[in-house]
Amino acid sequence: MSAEPLQALANVGKGESTRTLLRVVILFLIAGAAVASRLFSVIRFESIIHEFDPWFNFRATKYLVANGFYSFWDWFDDRTWHPLGRVTGGTLYPGLMVTSGAIYHALRALTIPVDIRNICVLLAPAFSGLTAYATYLLTNEMTPSPSAGLLAAVFMGIAPGYISRSVAGSYDNEAISIFLLVFTFYLWIKALKLGSMLWGALCALFYGYMVASWGGYAFITCLLPLHSFVLICMGRYSTRLYVAYTTWYALGTLASMQIPFVGFLPVKTSEHMPALGIFGFLQLLAFLDYVRSAIPGRQFQTFLWLFAGGTFGIGLAGLVIATSAGVIAPWGGRFYSLWDTSYAKIHIPIIASVSEHQPTAWPAFFFDLNMLIWLFPAGVYLCFQQLADEHVFIVVYALFGSYFAGVMVRLMLTLTPVVCVAAAIAVSNVFDAYLIVKSPSTEDRQVEDVSEAVAKKAKSGLKSTSKPVVGVYSLISKGAVVSAMTVYLLLFVLHCTWVTSNAYSSPSVVLASKLADGSQHIIDDYREAYQWLRQNTKDDAKIMSWWDYGYQIGGMADRPTLVDNNTWNNTHIATVGKAMSSKEEVSYPIMRQHEVDYVLVVFGGLLGYSGDDINKFLWMVRIAEGIWPEEVNERAFFTPRGEYRVDAEASQVMKDSLMYKMSYYNYNNLFPPGQAQDRVRGARLPEVGPTLDVLDEAFTSENWIIRIYKVKDLDNVGRDHAAASAFERGLKKKKVMKKRGPRVLRVD
Amino acid sequence: MAPKHRNNRDVTPSAATSTASPSVSGTAPGATTSAVPVAKPIKAPAAATASSKQDWNSVVTNLINHYQDATPQRTKLIDAFMAFLVVAGALQFLYCVLAGNYPFNAFLSGFSATVGQFVLCASLRIQTTEANKSDFPAVSPERAFADFVVCSLILHFFCVNFIN
Amino acid sequence: MRSLLLFFALLWVTAVSAISTTGDRLLVVLDDVADKATYSKFLGDLESRGFKLSYETPKSESLSLFRLGERAYDHVILFPSRAKGLGPNLTPNVLLQFINANGNILLTLSSASSTPSSVISLLAEIDIQLPADRTGLVVDHFNYDAASAADKHDVLLLPPPSSIRADIKDFFGVGAGANEVLAFPRGVGATLGSGELLTPIVRAPATAYSYNPKEQAEVLDDVFAAGSQLALAAAFQARNSARFALVGSAEMLSDTWFDAEVKTVGGKAAKTYNREFAKRVSGWAFQEIGVLRVNWIEHHLNEVGATNESNPGIYRIKNDVTYTISLSEYSWSTWSAFSVPANDALQLEFSMLSPFHRLPLVLDPAHSNPEAAAYTASFKLPDQHGIFNFKVNYKRPFFTNLEEKNTVSVRHMAHDEWPRSYVISGAWPWIAGIFATVTGWLAFCALWMYSAPTDKKKVIKKTQ
Repeated sequence: MSAEPLQALANVGKGESTRTLLRVVILFLIAGAAVASRLFSVIRFESIIHEFDPWFNFRATKYLVANGFYSFWDWFDDRTWHPLGRVTGGTLYPGLMVTSGAIYHALRALTIPVDIRNICVLLAPAFSGLTAYATYLLTNEMTPSPSAGLLAAVFMGIAPGYISRSVAGSYDNEAISIFLLVFTFYLWIKALKLGSMLWGALCALFYGYMVASWGGYAFITCLLPLHSFVLICMGRYSTRLYVAYTTWYALGTLASMQIPFVGFLPVKTSEHMPALGIFGFLQLLAFLDYVRSAIPGRQFQTFLWLFAGGTFGIGLAGLVIATSAGVIAPWGGRFYSLWDTSYAKIHIPIIASVSEHQPTAWPAFFFDLNMLIWLFPAGVYLCFQQLADEHVFIVVYALFGSYFAGVMVRLMLTLTPVVCVAAAIAVSNVFDAYLIVKSPSTEDRQVEDVSEAVAKKAKSGLKSTSKPVVGVYSLISKGAVVSAMTVYLLLFVLHCTWVTSNAYSSPSVVLASKLADGSQHIIDDYREAYQWLRQNTKDDAKIMSWWDYGYQIGGMADRPTLVDNNTWNNTHIATVGKAMSSKEEVSYPIMRQHEVDYVLVVFGGLLGYSGDDINKFLWMVRIAEGIWPEEVNERAFFTPRGEYRVDAEASQVMKDSLMYKMSYYNYNNLFPPGQAQDRVRGARLPEVGPTLDVLDEAFTSENWIIRIYKVKDLDNVGRDHAAASAFERGLKKKKVMKKRGPRVLRVD
Repeated sequence: MAPKHRNNRDVTPSAATSTASPSVSGTAPGATTSAVPVAKPIKAPAAATASSKQDWNSVVTNLINHYQDATPQRTKLIDAFMAFLVVAGALQFLYCVLAGNYPFNAFLSGFSATVGQFVLCASLRIQTTEANKSDFPAVSPERAFADFVVCSLILHFFCVNFIN
Repeated sequence: MRSLLLFFALLWVTAVSAISTTGDRLLVVLDDVADKATYSKFLGDLESRGFKLSYETPKSESLSLFRLGERAYDHVILFPSRAKGLGPNLTPNVLLQFINANGNILLTLSSASSTPSSVISLLAEIDIQLPADRTGLVVDHFNYDAASAADKHDVLLLPPPSSIRADIKDFFGVGAGANEVLAFPRGVGATLGSGELLTPIVRAPATAYSYNPKEQAEVLDDVFAAGSQLALAAAFQARNSARFALVGSAEMLSDTWFDAEVKTVGGKAAKTYNREFAKRVSGWAFQEIGVLRVNWIEHHLNEVGATNESNPGIYRIKNDVTYTISLSEYSWSTWSAFSVPANDALQLEFSMLSPFHRLPLVLDPAHSNPEAAAYTASFKLPDQHGIFNFKVNYKRPFFTNLEEKNTVSVRHMAHDEWPRSYVISGAWPWIAGIFATVTGWLAFCALWMYSAPTDKKKVIKKTQ
């Protein structure tokens, strides 16, 4: 969209300085657009932290700002994962928090008092502007066309695939990591092109920053060696590659090991082994290359190649052996699930249960990238045509990224930059061809042919370089193509704006619904409930909930939780799953042992809110079954006909489970007798609701989305809870003595 | 240079056959040359399947001649340093194998300091070699050395930080 | 911190200088207030111990255990009633609420009248069973008072109670003289469930049994209980340490049987122990004996060179810590240092989910005085970070339940608390390696720059 006036203007102001000025202005406008489109969430709702993980990041940032860097580093968080606690300082990627902490202190030093929350909320949009700039730089390395970079920057700025993770309030690691990812790639290309140690070192430093920010750094760790490997296989080994790669690897690996959470992983896990392998391989190649340059002789060369191949094979075998012997940790579960999408479902339900780890649905590609997705292959094709080192990178990245984006929804994010770059190359190519007002004359053509021929002789390069120049003569065709492209681009902008404002700007802490008259109605049950917890419970009251809400409870209610979104301890999560899916008598000892004071469930039945705990319930059952297969059985939660039901037909195990009881406790009283209705599952509930003996209902939010129960203490006079609550209800113990069987004698 | 050159020529074939380290001693440049021949004998037995022994001896001799003739002094200096780094790295690795890797971070930082320094030297060597000039249009030898110093400083900082 | 705790403890002591540790308002519920003359000695004893007695009948309108949601009385004595129920003010629910609100109850039964249903359900809730049809009589054909019940054998003569287990302190039989027996006239026996909150005080002799005099006068086919399963007096202490005592025979508290002369089956004359027994049972029920108090709890880091601040919220793994708990026991109007009975031990648990340490707490004379005994344990924290509890869980029959939980976090090693590399000798070669690399590099750089000019000339020459 911006390329068109650029081109026109660039033709008017032919001076280099004018172009630079224009470029700067355009880049600033792009950054402004990128930031502005991400502010929908603030305008629609308020300046609030979104979703789940950002709440933890926000809490960690507040801790960092309040206590300083060193105590953040050594932070032992005793308010999560009760009673295990979490070595938070050593198990997080600190880049995000440190970045916003640094910004906070810098602004303070400039006497601009800004609330840390606002920094956190606006960090992602701010970095999206930088990402657009980084994309501009990266694309400029790919093509000489001046418009491609700007187009790529625009695409990156407003592509929904990236916006989905970087709207204001989405204070997550990805917020800064995508910028770092793109910028690291740019530095890598730069280092590779120039063969400069300094660029390599810069690349390594930004790689280190990336490692400090996001677990997705493994993407870089794998992509750069892959790129190098492809180059070597294509016979494009060069000393520049050696310099760039080895400098990056040596410094980058050391830099990554400075992060406590990463530590020794770069030399111990399989994810990092390709990089190490290529590093060793390059040493060999460089040595052989040196020897080869020293001594001519053909059979020697072939031997050397054999030798190199053999060493590579031996190295690979050694790696396999070391992995199987346990010296090197095998691939993590998440990585297995990247190869086999059904792996997680079978072996690691906890990973499969996260919606962003699901395989991507096809419409999502179009939804997130719109027309870029069909420009993308064209751009990749254009890269193929030129096929210098950096174009190989784009091709490799495109293949790698497409695969992973197809496997896991959230890796769409890593695909987006390359899609933007490739699409920009394609679009700029179209514009470069069609936006020239002057028609090529035949002389021009001849001249070009001659020059082409000269170039051909001189280079004798790939076939693609010898293509004849094809000119466009008709103004009509030019106008048609250009205006069609313009319409497409405008539609793209419309689509992006629409998607951003409708799909990606909801904080999910606050829900919005439309009333009958079209006005917006805010459903604020989450905050209502968390506020209740904050104001009505002891400061150290332990809250048990499914792990999805752990970070929010920690962040908004400031109460200790048993499990949270940092799913580091599967057994602990399974324990909570077991407590939720078992009978009260089984759950109660678990809750006592873990000193649970309150249990929080999310129930959407009244409002029709489908992301509630009953719908997630099967995952709790599955995760619990993974640890206690003989006590929790998923099959038992289905009806004999294999249906998952909550109405009168529901299986007895389902009805007895704590989760079911907590969800539907007292729900009947809202309706006329026999009319109780669950709007999510469209089920009519049995006339008599469940009874709860070990829990007391403590709080239910306005729309019943959050229900909080207090765990009863042990009965004061030593009865079990069922008997105690039966007594409360007025059912006297009926002649216990008259029960059949031998009497239990007291022995003491 | 010339007489030394001749000496080496006499020594190296015996080194290749005996696979013991050649007893080249004396001045610094002489020691420098040993870096390459030391690596050679390890490779030589593997090569025996491909070609006859004599061929390889001549290859090795050629190599050394070439090195002696075509290497500028500065490059030899780099080679000396690289040889030193290889020895230092090998010793550290050996110690790790023999004595265990208990403070693993210490081993990693010590070892990777030598490895990192080695590859940086190699890069410097590549960039300052005349023959590679065309590969590096943007890197003059002075620039290469400055880059090298900056990268080394970063490397040393990381290593010292990591060894704690 | 410690002095502050002591101050509050002392404040508390002065606030409840009354006879019982939980208050002195005692309600006596009698069928007819005039009946109090029957128990004048017992009630007089109570009054002389400082209780303020009020008398009510179950039917009374003004009878209410609670006033404005608070307990109106601290203790209740229920004497037997001839009514079928105890009316709306003494329903089992109210009585249970009274216990839950830390009120103490002394319940007496009698075989002369059937037990009110309200009492039966209350007892059922705390797992005490009475004979069927609310009536029962305990007889023993071998241990009866030959003087007053030569025919009916329904006045049992029992040896003074002794502790049922070696590790349980004897509260009820210690004051007995050599020639004293406990008379249990016309009482009801109960069976106890096996819950840990219940303890028998007086168990029937092996030859005693319970029967229903109305229905089973002729033939006895189904014995309710016999022998030591039959509890004649029993103690129940709720989790909140509220106490409930059951005495099977109200008559044994009456003036008649206080210091009465009885004759055993063997013909020996003996004095009854009833008065002292009544004092002790009521004293236990009304929190005059067997009351434990935690004065203060303190734990601190026990490492050299560290500031041993009291009760920090957070420790580090493998720290040495010391835990001290100060305990007092109340016994008839004075607090004294609590000494753990022989054969028993006071233990400290350091637990997260399950105990990581279970250690005996030993007497610490340095912090003890005649009024309070300090028990202490020092240990090394486990190599596991998490949220731990110092837990003292001392629950013994007749003693106040002690369950003290002090939560502390145990953190991991901070990044600068690990030994530095130069401290570990194993790391020296690698430190030397780095050092060698750096010096080598410096030397190299120096040489490089030194050799620069000649090199340049050479380059120039070559190019020329």
